[in-house]
Amino acid sequence: MSRAVLCVIVAHNEAPNLPLVVADIRSQPEALDILVVDDGSTDRTLSVLPRLGVRWVQLPERMGVGSAMRAGLRYAARNGYEVVVRVDGDGQHRAADIAGLLNALDSHHRADVAVGSRFQIEQPVRRSQRVLSVVLSLVTGQRVTDPTSGFCAFGPRAMRILAEHHPTGYPEPELRLFVDRNALTVMEVSVRPRSRFHGRTSLTAGRIVATTARVALALAVVPWRRRVREAVRA
Amino acid sequence: MPDRVQLETLIASLILLLTVFELIRRRKLTEEHAFLWILLGATLLVVSIRADILAAAARLAGLANPAAVPLVVAVAAMLIVCLCLSVIVSRQRKQIERLIEETAILSAELRDVRAVSPVK
Repeated sequence: MSRAVLCVIVAHNEAPNLPLVVADIRSQPEALDILVVDDGSTDRTLSVLPRLGVRWVQLPERMGVGSAMRAGLRYAARNGYEVVVRVDGDGQHRAADIAGLLNALDSHHRADVAVGSRFQIEQPVRRSQRVLSVVLSLVTGQRVTDPTSGFCAFGPRAMRILAEHHPTGYPEPELRLFVDRNALTVMEVSVRPRSRFHGRTSLTAGRIVATTARVALALAVVPWRRRVREAVRA
Repeated sequence: MPDRVQLETLIASLILLLTVFELIRRRKLTEEHAFLWILLGATLLVVSIRADILAAAARLAGLANPAAVPLVVAVAAMLIVCLCLSVIVSRQRKQIERLIEETAILSAELRDVRAVSPVK
């Protein structure tokens, strides 16, 4: 693995967690560059960022994970990186698992996208996730064990395409559909889940209805979309 | 009675068309979106002059009551306008997303460049 790798940390109001997440990535034997994409944070994130010694992209408004990832992927593509790893700013992704994700993209496995799955061995606890994984597996014709995982690595081709077309909203399930529709190869890699360092998840009960509706719409629409073409300009 | 209704719709459609014209003149409505309303006003104008079009439409659609035709047409027109507006808003949402991502990347790159060669 000699490819230039950029870890993109997407963060919205994660000021207490960011130093821990960055330290976790730095503690890995592999040298990994880090870019924080601040998704319109309103907490102390802005004063924390310059002290972390990492580069960062600051979205002036909260645009959501999908838009933040597009910014991170585009930054990576323009700055000569070939692989992007998405790591969430809340600390639920262990940096120790990044090596496994990168392995899936190497010349041996040749995956375009590696997705960290928390449920390769056990079943998801939530019934909604079990249903979603069954439905996604049926639609994509591949085994999807963790439909809502945001811990993933993108190879060069996936990076270039998703820099323009990464889905927005509640993007993880739709990303699986998009990637399948556009004939990018996916490999699931087993990762160990961890609960977030500080604070609470942004997924509240009220939002679950809206996200379910969006995912259902994506299931119906994405397989019928035209395939995207790779952008010529960088 | 029909003549009075005809006069009213004629005046209403003229007011609509004039309002749209005035909005375009003051640049409060861009031409692109104005065509939607011009089309609507023009249709209303034609229908108010030639009321028999409505009667023909009622027979064609199998509506027993010709008075229901303007209502059906009005609701349909409003739906179409709303759908068009949704498409326009969606496109603008995409443009804003793109713009915000782009400004964020540019200011990050500017910061990187300044870190290498500071401007005083």
